[in-house]
Amino acid sequence: MVIALGFEGSANKLGIGVIKNGKVLSNCRRTYITPPGEGFLPKETAQHHRENVLIVLKEALEESQVKPEDIDVICYTKGPGMGAPLATVAVVARTVARLWNKPILGVNHCIGHIEMGRLITGANNPTVLYVSGGNTQVIAYARKKYRIFGETIDIAVGNCLDRFARVIKISNDPSPGYNIEQLAKKGSKLVQLPYCVKGMDVSFSGILSFMEEKTEQLLKEGYTPEDLCFSLQETIFAMLIETTERALAHCNSNEVLIVGGVGCNLRLQEMMGIMCNERNARLFATDERFCIDNGIMIAHAGAEMFAAGVRTKWQDSFITQRYRTDEVETVWRTD
Amino acid sequence: MSEELFKIFISEIQIPFESKKCAEVAYDVLRVDKEPKRSEVSKQLGVRDNVLTAHFSGKLARQLRVSVNGFFEKLDLVVGTIDLLGRPVSEKYDHY
Repeated sequence: MVIALGFEGSANKLGIGVIKNGKVLSNCRRTYITPPGEGFLPKETAQHHRENVLIVLKEALEESQVKPEDIDVICYTKGPGMGAPLATVAVVARTVARLWNKPILGVNHCIGHIEMGRLITGANNPTVLYVSGGNTQVIAYARKKYRIFGETIDIAVGNCLDRFARVIKISNDPSPGYNIEQLAKKGSKLVQLPYCVKGMDVSFSGILSFMEEKTEQLLKEGYTPEDLCFSLQETIFAMLIETTERALAHCNSNEVLIVGGVGCNLRLQEMMGIMCNERNARLFATDERFCIDNGIMIAHAGAEMFAAGVRTKWQDSFITQRYRTDEVETVWRTD
Repeated sequence: MSEELFKIFISEIQIPFESKKCAEVAYDVLRVDKEPKRSEVSKQLGVRDNVLTAHFSGKLARQLRVSVNGFFEKLDLVVGTIDLLGRPVSEKYDHY
């Protein structure tokens, strides 16, 4: 039985949560939202986290109703992510661990997403599509590691969407991707965009450049912003489905799990569902509470690791901007 | 060669806490993060009774300022967390 407190702050979401044996006791979050046309930068994002982290911590502890003495381990995101925001949240996690005399555990952000997805959906051994503002990976489990079968060779799919949202100046509230999804529902005319699948890998920077250069002209030609959102989504999601399908066939798997912030896009889930149906596979996805970065996924992955005997030495409780999914040995998985 | 090349900027900071235990918490939390290589600033932390001491030195005032600012931002969070949760529950930390 493990009760874990988890801290997440690798990008513009700040999340803190408490989990007890896979049961969510609290899952609190604040998002740093920038004005239309602007993205979030490390310095300002870290400032947002500094201003909010103690408020969210108080909220998460009160909501969970756990006593400090009952908590077994303090978990924080070790990476990957933006340095300053990660470090800000890690400082508070360390202070809590030191004050309460609890072990501290650094968790890989991607592993957090995967383990939370498995917990919530009940997927056993899925092929995972991990899509967010900073990451795009097709992952499958084999011999004690989550192995990356394919990934982006430049920018993440969510980054492509976020930056396109800046081009057409749509709101970043609640998130640029959500607003693109809503506009895309009203789009119908498909613009031919570059389609960039390279083996198992994908590339989005060329598509983004194309949109940045052509948007003004396309709007003059009679395409609406809705059409552009629709075309962008259809194209980049098709690329993701193609590579996921190939990984699925290769691994002889019959489960697909979508995690990460872009994973709550219903059109992506719908397209993946069609592919899964054709292959007699099951699709698993979660909603925004667990898809979008949160503290509870760090607490849950950390609790699994802790129960399996993983420990972080105090002097190793720093953060690292680069930390690949396949660097972590999954000692908590028995298969 | 001008003397400018050998000039070193130094900042000595002393932060008193209400107790030695609290100063040690701040010291333990802050000593984990190393200065980034490119900052070229050296940072030495210590505890003397209830006082957290920090010694920064670097060749450029700008780099020194960035390091010292970063130190205060983190220190502020540590102090805020202690204010929120109260004093350390034990004399020693058992999980090094």
